[in-house]
Amino acid sequence: MKIQISYTGRSYQTAAILPAEITLDDGGTVDDALHLLTKDLADDQQLPMSCLLAVSGEHIGTLASHTNQSLQDRDELILIAPVAGG
Amino acid sequence: MGGPAALMLTMGGIGRVIIAHGGDMISPDLNRQVLGSERVLGRPRAEDFGDYLRSMNQFVEVEAIGHEPNATEAAELAERCDIILSCPPTFEERLRLNRAAVEAGIPFIDAAQWGMTGTLIVVKPGETACLECLYPEPPPFEEFFPVVGAISAATGSLAALEAIKILSGTGDPLWGKMLTYDGYRGKVTTVQLQRRALCACCSSR
Repeated sequence: MKIQISYTGRSYQTAAILPAEITLDDGGTVDDALHLLTKDLADDQQLPMSCLLAVSGEHIGTLASHTNQSLQDRDELILIAPVAGG
Repeated sequence: MGGPAALMLTMGGIGRVIIAHGGDMISPDLNRQVLGSERVLGRPRAEDFGDYLRSMNQFVEVEAIGHEPNATEAAELAERCDIILSCPPTFEERLRLNRAAVEAGIPFIDAAQWGMTGTLIVVKPGETACLECLYPEPPPFEEFFPVVGAISAATGSLAALEAIKILSGTGDPLWGKMLTYDGYRGKVTTVQLQRRALCACCSSR
């Protein structure tokens, strides 16, 4: 199944290397998607653990603590790195 | 970002605006601070920003506080306000304002930016997720980061728009949602936020 990937917020340039879409086996989960996305990132490119996660518009927690739900074909996995610029 | 928000609220005729901003106007502010200018470099921000706001609308009462409120001051200010807009540079300050709003039971709007991206969170205490539901601990402080003034103005204006909607009872505020604008790609995303059952700030409300 195809999963759309959206990233925004802090460290945008680093995250620009993430793919816009990934392919998972049927029944794949959020953690499967995150593993695929981050396994090849260098240490200084890793996403912040406080990065918010959402699936198709529904917030599910942070990178550090989230619901590891199953994904559906064409779901959008949204990653929002914390932003505090005033 | 607080500058454009305060300016839009004042120009919109909101009854009273209280701005709190410490420090003096410095040149790195000039790329986004619509309330300042090169003429006031080196002067206390709050004082000049207050004067500028008063010059924009004589019917709006403007109060300027020349430092960032501590927790006690934030709680006292919240009791005198109908809504809080949060635009400071650190999560510690944002979480402090969020807590003051939750404890006073008034709406809270958090606006933030990075580079060409902006985010907006609208909180209805006791009913929707608060900022501490999302960030139980403040994410690491980033002292130096890119900011494009256009995204400050856009996000600050959207925060003011949400405030005007809430105060006037017009439209559908973004209660419990995070709106992100990715200016790099011109993409708007809205996320429905979840309350955290064990949130130390709002779970008992």
